[in-house]
Amino acid sequence: MDRPSAERMKGLEQPARIMPGLGALEARERWTRLGLVLTLVMFCLALSLLSPRFLTPGNLINVVRQASINGIIAVGMTLVILTGGIDLSVGSILAFTGVVAASLVTSGQPPALAMASALILGSLMGMLNGAAVAYLRIPPFIATLGMMTVARGLALSYTQGRPITGFPESFRWLGAGWMGPLPVPVLVMALVFGFGGFLLSYTIFGEHLLAIGNNPAAAQAVGIPLRRRLVLTYGLSGFLASLAGLILIGRLDSAPPTLGIGYEFDAIAAVVIGGTRLTGGEGWLGGTLIGALIIGVLNNGINLLNIPSFYEQVFKGGVIAAALLLHRVLRRE
Amino acid sequence: MRGMRDFLGRWSGVLVLLALWMALTLMTPRFLTPSNLLNVALQSSILAVVALGMTLTIISGGIDLSVGSVVALTGALTAGLMIRNGWPVGGAILAGLGAGLALGLLNGALVVYGRLVPFIATLSTMAIARGLTLVYTRGYPISGLPEAFTFLGTGEVFGIPMPVLLMGAVALGISLLLNRTPWGLHLYAVGGGEDLAWLSGVRVNRVKGLVYGMSGLLAGLGGILLTARLWSAQPNVGVGLELEAIAASVLGGASLSGGYGSVGGTLVGALVMGTVGNGLNLLEIPSYHQQIIKGLVFILAVGLDRLLKTGPWPARSIPVRRRGTS
Repeated sequence: MDRPSAERMKGLEQPARIMPGLGALEARERWTRLGLVLTLVMFCLALSLLSPRFLTPGNLINVVRQASINGIIAVGMTLVILTGGIDLSVGSILAFTGVVAASLVTSGQPPALAMASALILGSLMGMLNGAAVAYLRIPPFIATLGMMTVARGLALSYTQGRPITGFPESFRWLGAGWMGPLPVPVLVMALVFGFGGFLLSYTIFGEHLLAIGNNPAAAQAVGIPLRRRLVLTYGLSGFLASLAGLILIGRLDSAPPTLGIGYEFDAIAAVVIGGTRLTGGEGWLGGTLIGALIIGVLNNGINLLNIPSFYEQVFKGGVIAAALLLHRVLRRE
Repeated sequence: MRGMRDFLGRWSGVLVLLALWMALTLMTPRFLTPSNLLNVALQSSILAVVALGMTLTIISGGIDLSVGSVVALTGALTAGLMIRNGWPVGGAILAGLGAGLALGLLNGALVVYGRLVPFIATLSTMAIARGLTLVYTRGYPISGLPEAFTFLGTGEVFGIPMPVLLMGAVALGISLLLNRTPWGLHLYAVGGGEDLAWLSGVRVNRVKGLVYGMSGLLAGLGGILLTARLWSAQPNVGVGLELEAIAASVLGGASLSGGYGSVGGTLVGALVMGTVGNGLNLLEIPSYHQQIIKGLVFILAVGLDRLLKTGPWPARSIPVRRRGTS
């Protein structure tokens, strides 16, 4: 249930506390968060009982590595959802920027340049989303849905529907490389979550995002540059989508234009499982991380248990709904 | 000026559609012919049936992402019962509609009793229904359907295609429901603010549950029509249909935060979508580029619609979604 709006407004006078930090947790929220962690632990326990191959260091690292792409996208999605919006275009932006980077690097450009162009392109496309929302006043669902179609079409026509393959080793490092005992994608995900957490908890920008999500009219009335904030937020989401794309094509050593179809739904699911409200204004980035890990464990379980591919979606949809229902039941007590 | 603005706001969808038709008429002589216009109506009709159900959920303040998968599942089930189990056409159609209704009611139960956000509840159903379709069809299309069934999708009565007639009947029924019954009033009240509706004596849960049931039922009808028109049930049919249906509703003036939406608007929205598809084919634009243009036209149409409705740039109207009321 909503907290009264007076209390919400109070947060505006107290920078850095509007995001409930560890010290200011209400008991109820602490339980909810504990419940989320317990859900993840339960999933892991169940899988380690069902398959002896689950609880091995190699497999666990694999789970996190597979979850990292969704996790990175989900950070941007969390920021957008906190403002009360949504970003359906992430999967298509990932695909288009991925094929652009791939074509640059296979045509002999240095990998760093290819990567930088993809990231800049992704940010620009995200900012276009933000501009459509903030300046053209198109609802976020519709604006990003349009971008989703446009970017997918761009990816398909750019490649004529064919995958681009054969990247140099240094280009694949981001997706397939290792740093010490850890895969690079996992480190990147950790960095992204750290950056997102810092943004939300310790900067004015994060405070503004939550204020916008709580009440856009009030946020604008107290002088928050709402339009610029929205453009930047959607831009960040586009940036992170293209970063995830670079990791994905590095791992696959191939960039098909059909990359990332449906990724928006996985990212939204991770955010919502993590307890962020879809209407904005309230959320927890740590929850998004756990949500992404839960989905990752679920995917891993589907592979380990050899569930036939036709049943995959039934299983996944059912488990996610069941987990959320359980969460609701526990929460009401 | 006020009268002008009211006029523009009320008819913005129609104006967008007319602008589109004028542009296409100028670009190709093949657009403005009776047979092609009938074709546009035919292409839009199945989307319109599904979008009308979507509009109901959107008016209630929710959303139904499962319609595309429900279309596939009911189509496959209806076809499968006829081909594999030898059911009569009528029985199979009833079973298909029943399956759609059941899935819709499942959505409703998840939203009402499970207290899940509609987006997530119907997203789960979307995955489950698509998975069940793949399981049931084993990934292969089911074809060889009897004439009596395919008539629903390809037949004509008095020169009007069956899907268009059925769409008309559905639109009329829902229009009466929304505008001439207390239930319609209750639905708008729920979308406008659940707490207030509840305090005024509206049975909010029942209204919401029923809305998803109807959306599922109409998606089921859409699935049957589509299967009949394609002469076969394809397991991958209807992917992304939910997004097109939402687009049609929003183009027709429905607000994703609930409380607004109309049958006429959604029909116009579906016609806009159908016209764009038809126009791109007439202009012989390659399929990859079609997507790009579709997305752009879509954004521009909604942007133009907003502009006509509210005038240029009011300072304090920002389209961030309103907070939920529950």
